[in-house]
Amino acid sequence: MSVTEQGLLEREKDSMTLNMGPQHPSTHGVFRVVLEMDGEVVDATEPHIGFLHTGIEKTAEAKRYVHVIPMTDRLDYLSPPSNNLAFCLTTEKLLQTEIPERANYLRVIMCELARMASHLVWLATHALDIGAMTVFLYCWREREMILDLNEEISGVRMMTSYIRLGGVAKDATPGWLQGVRKFINYLPAKIDEYERLLTNNPIWIDRTQGIGVMSREDAINWSMSGPVLRASGANFDLRKQRPYSGYENFDFEVPLGKNGDIYDRYLVRVAELRESRKIVEQALKNLPTGPYKVEDSKISLPNRNTLKSSMEALIHHFKLVSEGVSVPKGETYVPVEGPRGEVGFYIISDGSSVPSRVKLRAPSFMAIPGMCAMMEGCFIADVVGIIGSIDIVMGEVDR
Amino acid sequence: MTSEEIIEKVKSDQGEDIQSAEVNLGDAVIFVAPGALHKVAGYLMMDADLNFDYLSHITGADYLNEDRDPRFEVVYEFHSIDKNHSIRMRVGLEEEDPTIPTVSDLWRGALYPERELFDMFGFKIMGHPNLSRLIMPDEWGGHPLLKDYPLTTEDIAFSHNRDFKQDLVKTKPPTR
Repeated sequence: MSVTEQGLLEREKDSMTLNMGPQHPSTHGVFRVVLEMDGEVVDATEPHIGFLHTGIEKTAEAKRYVHVIPMTDRLDYLSPPSNNLAFCLTTEKLLQTEIPERANYLRVIMCELARMASHLVWLATHALDIGAMTVFLYCWREREMILDLNEEISGVRMMTSYIRLGGVAKDATPGWLQGVRKFINYLPAKIDEYERLLTNNPIWIDRTQGIGVMSREDAINWSMSGPVLRASGANFDLRKQRPYSGYENFDFEVPLGKNGDIYDRYLVRVAELRESRKIVEQALKNLPTGPYKVEDSKISLPNRNTLKSSMEALIHHFKLVSEGVSVPKGETYVPVEGPRGEVGFYIISDGSSVPSRVKLRAPSFMAIPGMCAMMEGCFIADVVGIIGSIDIVMGEVDR
Repeated sequence: MTSEEIIEKVKSDQGEDIQSAEVNLGDAVIFVAPGALHKVAGYLMMDADLNFDYLSHITGADYLNEDRDPRFEVVYEFHSIDKNHSIRMRVGLEEEDPTIPTVSDLWRGALYPERELFDMFGFKIMGHPNLSRLIMPDEWGGHPLLKDYPLTTEDIAFSHNRDFKQDLVKTKPPTR
């Protein structure tokens, strides 16, 4: 057959379908996107998600409230404490419990350490996607220290489950607090080091400035949240806007971007690293003494020592372990500011110790359609940068 | 605006379209019929004082075990970025015809949560540009987050002992 018989010359548009993922290192998990290419330019995108679906929302309907907490770790696996916190705050709102000051401070310290760890992983992998190998190794080095701190306080490096109903799992020891202090004193020099490598690096600027631009109006309309929303100039940080767990007591800035491109998202996240450090510093300075969980034995286990002398404590212990926390009938939603944006749980309770519906509001899930809109019209080489700049975690997308 | 003020304003402006309204644990909550959903949603977004420009999430709920009428509910949560207040809109859906209009023409962020509603609950979203399964595979049967969808029973994938096991599956009650 000649070329004309095959109709090759008559084809109007020479578009090509390119499959990216799910096994692609720069999709940060198992995200698959089918790209319709016109030469080097992306014409249309078709995202596919669900490869990591584990049915956590369905499983939670058959588990007691306490048992849901370890599952929330696996949602956003790069910052488990913010998921724990969102779940616990929602349940505590239904229970109408007041949390002791010290527990709130420990929660804030853990959440901010997790935010730093998450942003370090983001910076490492995002820089690696764009081609900066060194930053990857440096960031991993610092993240390792946070994981060591996690291990020391909760016994687990990543899936900490440290934040529990009515407080935290264990009290912080002076040694651990000293370790955190050492880490936050060590970190600023390292952040300067990353910035020296990237902020004024001409290759980095070429690959990030003016790419993946999203205006403030678009970012709001597409329900982007967290650093992506703030890089577009919208001042919305739930720690400032709707303070929870005593964030109103801390003095910190909310970094904002102007252009809403990949570079601004980088600047916002690096600035957030410094702000998180500041929050931890203040929390360590003002850490109050007192109980680390509520005294109410209907919500948290009674002290181990009282079990041997107090009948009532023994009954409470038995009831709590065998039956769980009974949450009053009702439904509510509490959002918190995770590293990726607004993390929230909508919980419906039917009055028993098992939730009737647990819904996670996942920032990565909400960001995917907006991210694909960003990709349309850009070069194939920038797709990787755009996915990296949104910082998606497939664990919370697919749930 | 505080939750009470929001409720007052929405009630006075949208009178007959709001079935009821309450402040629940500090949050403003309004109940709307599916027919009035799109109109009320548009009002919440466009009104200059309310300015709910940010869609936080959409979720579904199945009240099968609670003996409620209607059985289903769709819950919308809206924030206002500039005004820093929120509202929750709850829409009851009949079991026979779980159909709601899309709000993705107002908030484009609604595209995915609405597809998830279809995927997980089987609600029909009128006017959605691409209403297909999102998280479950395309060929999946049933809608997993319905209360009458069992959690643990599953089809037997192997032919070995199939007849025997199928009986087991039929008699095994759903979890809970």
